Amino acid sequence: MNFKSIQRVLLATFLFLCCWSANAQHQFGNSRVSGDFGFNGMYYIPDSIIGADPVDSKVRGNAFLNILYTNGGFSAGARYEFYMFPLIDFEKIGYQGQGIKYFFADYTNKFISVTAGNFYEQFGNGLTLRAYEDRQLGIDNSLLGARIKLTPYKGIYIKGVWGIERYNFDPYLGRQDYVRGADVEFSFGEMFPKMQQKGFIARVGANVVSKFEKSEQDIYFYIEDSTEAGSTAVIPSDKIPENVATWAARGTFGYKDFRIDAEYARKMNDPNLPNEFIYKPGEALFLSATYSRQGLGIAASFIRADNMEYRSQRWENNNSLLMINCIPAINRQYSYQLIGDYSYASQPNSQIGAQLQVNYQIPKKTALGGKYGTDITFNYSRFHDIDKVPVQEAIDNGTPMGTMGYTSSFFKFGPNLLYQDIGLEISHRFNNKKWKWILAYNYITYNLEILQGHEGMMRGHLVASDLSYKITPKHALRLELQHLYTKDDDGSSVYAMLEYSISPSWFFSIGDDWNYGNPLEDHKVHYYNISCAYVWNTTRIALNFGKTKEGILCVGGVCRAVPASFGCGLSVTTSF
Amino acid sequence: MKKNIIVIICMILSINVFAQEAKDKHLAKLPAVEIQDLNGNPFNTQDIQNDGKPVIISLWATWCKPCIAELLAIADEYEDWVEETGVKLYAISIDDAKTSARVAPFVKGKNWEYTVLLDVNSDFKRAMNVNDVPYMCILNGDGEIVWQHTSYAPGSEEEVYEVIKSLVKK
Repeated sequence: MNFKSIQRVLLATFLFLCCWSANAQHQFGNSRVSGDFGFNGMYYIPDSIIGADPVDSKVRGNAFLNILYTNGGFSAGARYEFYMFPLIDFEKIGYQGQGIKYFFADYTNKFISVTAGNFYEQFGNGLTLRAYEDRQLGIDNSLLGARIKLTPYKGIYIKGVWGIERYNFDPYLGRQDYVRGADVEFSFGEMFPKMQQKGFIARVGANVVSKFEKSEQDIYFYIEDSTEAGSTAVIPSDKIPENVATWAARGTFGYKDFRIDAEYARKMNDPNLPNEFIYKPGEALFLSATYSRQGLGIAASFIRADNMEYRSQRWENNNSLLMINCIPAINRQYSYQLIGDYSYASQPNSQIGAQLQVNYQIPKKTALGGKYGTDITFNYSRFHDIDKVPVQEAIDNGTPMGTMGYTSSFFKFGPNLLYQDIGLEISHRFNNKKWKWILAYNYITYNLEILQGHEGMMRGHLVASDLSYKITPKHALRLELQHLYTKDDDGSSVYAMLEYSISPSWFFSIGDDWNYGNPLEDHKVHYYNISCAYVWNTTRIALNFGKTKEGILCVGGVCRAVPASFGCGLSVTTSF
Repeated sequence: MKKNIIVIICMILSINVFAQEAKDKHLAKLPAVEIQDLNGNPFNTQDIQNDGKPVIISLWATWCKPCIAELLAIADEYEDWVEETGVKLYAISIDDAKTSARVAPFVKGKNWEYTVLLDVNSDFKRAMNVNDVPYMCILNGDGEIVWQHTSYAPGSEEEVYEVIKSLVKK
């Protein structure tokens, strides 16, 4: 049976279930059909100064519809996506097409859960396997296949997966790669409730993931040498591993307010395009320690990743495509407009870094705390590339390809600083509750060359203020002011945004991001934006008009490029 | 093209179901999804209950500013709300592996009294058909979803409180 026929059978089942539930709604109170719909469209206007090039079709949009059927432990669902003329950001990453690329049926009870079709899954912290979706970024790494989860005894969890990873709108049919894996976890707190009652947490887990990809072609590569033509070398196809395994072991230990998480992962030899076809094994270590009590929270984490890009296909090097695992970026994420472009992107092949965050509340009803307390957040993070010493063979050959590549001493920070952030944020509500103020300062160092491919480093000071004022219980104003001071990249910018909201339904905003410090006189552009949104229960309709700066969009350390654009947008989301 | 037709049929059917639902005042209950508590122990969303009193569920994330604004606004009133109506708020974070370890310190640092749960794989978010956070819903004493809302405007917590009060009066 091929995939098309599987798809058809599932669709038919699904349709049947829809009809059945529509008629059976009264008899079976538990059966339910729900869904959600989203549309995001834009009319593009060319603007040569900001770099918004004319596009072949001016009206573009992304749309999807999710339908979900549930009845007790059984559920089934499908998503239809229409991205034939997608927003230009999505076209750039190849997310273009239409069809049902996500459908599943699932049965779950206390001991077993079985899923057939597409599923999202994560083992541990995701160092070896993380199939997930981020619609904003255009990432959908769901696996099409089967998953089984077992709970044979209280506190013991076993998972097994097999599947083919989604590759935008390309057919699954004829694919020569797949992923399989198994994970086991023991939660001692659940096995021995007395332990948990005394405040101890102990949990350990381990997993193995393996990808298979057929190797039929020799890999040729060009080496620069003294001759003008250079020379070529080859890795024969039978020397390329078809199975690449990763394994990981993890543990979580806690006592009362303290908690430590640790995970170590290792990848077998995996010559691929992003690592320049080297045979060196990869490894990653993730550590996190937290302490929290009422009014205080401290979190520290460490990550080291060396050659850990793990994909279904060895020739793929697009940012987010076909990634099987996800090496987390542990820096603090900000939503400030002016530093959006300088968000750190996780570097799974080479990064070592640490992060510390402290959240503290100055107690309520004190001089500094005021009636509602004052929240303070301090943050520091620093990431470097890893230390690398090329192996002799790579030096002799003039290329790392086909060799062990390099050696690296484990805890040594590499020569290049990738990202550093020192931040302080204070949030205070005034006694009459009408005023709320958040004030933030950040000093950011961002490696433009390694993270974005431009030259140099960006060092910038950001001051941001977010002031809210409740005019009446339903009407509120919010004013955001930001200033980024930097001599690097595009220079300094200021940003102001005023939002007026009538609870619970209406939002109006007007904002301007002015790149006043741009070294080029005619690039000192105002990126203005006007928007209006209406919310009714779970339906949201938003209209906006304005300019978007060329930059990057990051969600959780995973980033994609955002092309410059100018135009009018409409977005509708609803669920039912 | 064939697929498109199937999809359209699906849509019509679902709308049909939806309409029927509205007519029958058939109120949905929470789906049963396995998520985690702050200790990492499994927690089934069907176990969300409050001894016959109303429940507020908020889907949020540590990186979502309006979510935090909404939970902060409710935090100021929460003590009074609990006293008057016995309501209980479940704050379900959709932070994934990158930030989920920081949820507990974040919540403690803010001094929130909510019951915090983790939906690290977004399973509950998908099962609830939620597109964006912040998302909030209210369950009546029988665990039926009586009110839903997406996004946050300052002051909308007043509406939440009105809904809860009306549930308690009944």
